[in-house]
Amino acid sequence: MNKELEHRFVTQLEENQNIVHKICRLYTNNSDAHNDLFQEITIQLWRAFPKFRGDSKFSTWMYRVALNTAITLYRKSKRSVKTQDFEGVSFKISSEAYDDTVEEQLKLMYSAVKNLNDIDKALVFLYLEDKNYKEISQTLGISEVNARVKMNRIKEKLRKVLNP
Amino acid sequence: MDELELLKQKWQAREQDLPTLSYNDIYKLILKKSSSIVKWIFIIGVLELCFWIGLVLLTPESQMKVMNDMGLKTASVITNIIHFAIIAVFIWYFYRNYRSIQVTDNTKMLMKNILKTRKTVRYFVFYNLATYAVSSIVIVTYFYMNSGRLYSVMDFASRGISPENFDNRFLIGYIIVSVLFIGILMLFYWLIYGILLGRLKRNYKELKRMEV
Repeated sequence: MNKELEHRFVTQLEENQNIVHKICRLYTNNSDAHNDLFQEITIQLWRAFPKFRGDSKFSTWMYRVALNTAITLYRKSKRSVKTQDFEGVSFKISSEAYDDTVEEQLKLMYSAVKNLNDIDKALVFLYLEDKNYKEISQTLGISEVNARVKMNRIKEKLRKVLNP
Repeated sequence: MDELELLKQKWQAREQDLPTLSYNDIYKLILKKSSSIVKWIFIIGVLELCFWIGLVLLTPESQMKVMNDMGLKTASVITNIIHFAIIAVFIWYFYRNYRSIQVTDNTKMLMKNILKTRKTVRYFVFYNLATYAVSSIVIVTYFYMNSGRLYSVMDFASRGISPENFDNRFLIGYIIVSVLFIGILMLFYWLIYGILLGRLKRNYKELKRMEV
């Protein structure tokens, strides 16, 4: 029984691991910290898994647990010194469609997002993942209206960073 | 089109340069131990409970004898019974709050429950510090008023301490030790929980601020 549960869990996480990696990349600055956070999220997911009833999609359920771990439960280790590693962020876009300026803009944008506080970052992340405001508000525990207002403010903030 | 919209469009396209773990890599991870702050709060909370309970249980025999000889036996038995009843209530609350921490709750609720668990322990510590301070004051006053009896109970004469000297030394010594004890403990808590909960408190405030 337990083996079967393990197998189901590992298979589903393997399929959906991108979500966790994206969160790790946003919330940490080097690969050691990335792996640390990935490990902690996996443990938290696995612990909560027996109660996962499948009334929502596995991935939807994952967003909540993974973000909670990144924002709330994870203790930043001393190793994760504040360094912005820009190489980790590369936007490989087919060259004919976009020129260098666009890629440059995207890089700037990504690093601006990384510099937001933990909560704002979670909002933007869910937005980038194409979640609607209802889902965003339910994940973070704020009202839909407030999520919308906050998101508009963050957009404004980011715009100012890019076009000073 | 604004930049965030553009980033959103390209967000998915970027997935190929994310790391990929194999089935076995992930399997190994689920066998590892968590190092989350909830776990640390639990461990530290249990240690704190043990510390304060131990302090009462490990009171040296000699001190008990002094209390008994000073005619405080019944008083100390009654206070201890009340004290342990209150400790039991704290332990129950601590356990209940700890159990309510669910990683599957929404972020705000999760943070709230963690802070609630921590608060129980904090009240427990305040309760103990206050009990310690109050009982010290009561005992010192009582001993001071009955210093003649204490002098003979502790047999200071055989140690060559004169009754006049004894009064002041005893009082000052007791006060210094008590204040130091309380001071060190408070510094200790401030450090531990400051490090552990600083980020969480900041994020919780941020979420609450959104609701205003």
